[in-house]
Amino acid sequence: MAKLKLGLYWAASCGGCDVAVLDINEKILDVAQLADIVFWPIAMDFKYHHVRAMEDGAIDVCLFNGAIRSSEQEDIARLLRAKSKTMVAFGSCACFGGIPALANFASRDEVMRRAYIEAPSNDNSGATLPQVRTTVPEGELELPELYDTVLTLAQVVDVEYFVPGCPPPVDLILKVVDALATNSLPPPGAVIASEKTLCDECERKKENKKISRIYRPHEIIPDPERCLLEQGIICCGPATRGGCGALCIKANMPCRGCFGPPPGVADQGAKLVAAVASIYQARDGEDIARMVSEMVDPAGTFYRFGLANSMLRRKRL
Amino acid sequence: MALLKNTLAQLGVEEDRVRLEWVSASEGERFASIVNEMTEKVRELGPFSRDDGGENG
Amino acid sequence: MRKVSIDPITRLEGHGKIEIFLNDDGDVANAYLQIPELRGFEKFCEGRPVEELPRIVTRICGV
Repeated sequence: MAKLKLGLYWAASCGGCDVAVLDINEKILDVAQLADIVFWPIAMDFKYHHVRAMEDGAIDVCLFNGAIRSSEQEDIARLLRAKSKTMVAFGSCACFGGIPALANFASRDEVMRRAYIEAPSNDNSGATLPQVRTTVPEGELELPELYDTVLTLAQVVDVEYFVPGCPPPVDLILKVVDALATNSLPPPGAVIASEKTLCDECERKKENKKISRIYRPHEIIPDPERCLLEQGIICCGPATRGGCGALCIKANMPCRGCFGPPPGVADQGAKLVAAVASIYQARDGEDIARMVSEMVDPAGTFYRFGLANSMLRRKRL
Repeated sequence: MALLKNTLAQLGVEEDRVRLEWVSASEGERFASIVNEMTEKVRELGPFSRDDGGENG
Repeated sequence: MRKVSIDPITRLEGHGKIEIFLNDDGDVANAYLQIPELRGFEKFCEGRPVEELPRIVTRICGV
């Protein structure tokens, strides 16, 4: 079998997904056997013009991580889509928006003002903001346009596969590499993870799911053997796809949903509202009000990794 | 509902756009008046547009 | 002036491009480093519970 041509790119990303690929350690040699990497900014010196010069479909598989919130990120997503046979939304940001999608609670102007003008450590009395076009004595400089709304990869181009996780765990990455090597990828459109929720994978004891108080994770020391939700700690497991090995749970921390919604759930946050509300055991209206107020930052918790992928996508401007 | 409304409020959805009522099939008049009330409220609030101010892409 | 673009800069974490302007002698008249990204952590961390921040700000950089 001829070597596959593999491309990796990062949009609004932290680099963690690229590092995760490197975390397969010596197995990177297997990848090197299997594929020629033709684009990977974190590790190799190929430029955009190299990609533009490729023929359409020249790249067999493109692992695209990061969300899309600028014109450059959208352009490169479209460029790589044209040049790639298979596009993989790699990591939670590309799949669902990820942490950067929390910016959908604000507008582009609010984000820029905060970052460049208002932040306490700034010294920007001139209130200078980056511009798309800047004229300097030597000529013109250009920057991409930032968008108001963070988008997922699939909201911009067609995507064949989704590999969730923040970052995708190493054994999931190895599964993907193996599927590529043996040409045994599932049908297009698949999310490469478990078909069940995290609760299915979680080894904790689940007994009676009724709570009368919500605890923030630092307010109690959770019993490591019992279900966190049953102890009053909000855990997004019931509406999160499994396949991560419940790593956070094993560290005695509640799930925050980075694997996205499970099969059959269109809106992860809405499902979590339902799941949490359904285990409330309250005496009366006042009690309900108390419990609801104990649920701090519901939208930010239930949509922690998936705001861009939700039905509303963003806070109304 | 309270939890849902709090969540939606964070997303800029006004509380009057969501309402939960239990109406049986025999309460025709009540159903009609609730729907009319709701229609009026939503009409006052105006179209809900998430593109308000700058959708992109 | 002739412009040489290095786009993207590679083998580091983050996005950047370098524009180099050459004068008629082919010498560098000026060079500009631009960072074409902003995710907005400064803004969207506001309103999040403080105990959640360690799990949010660690996504600034995964390296």
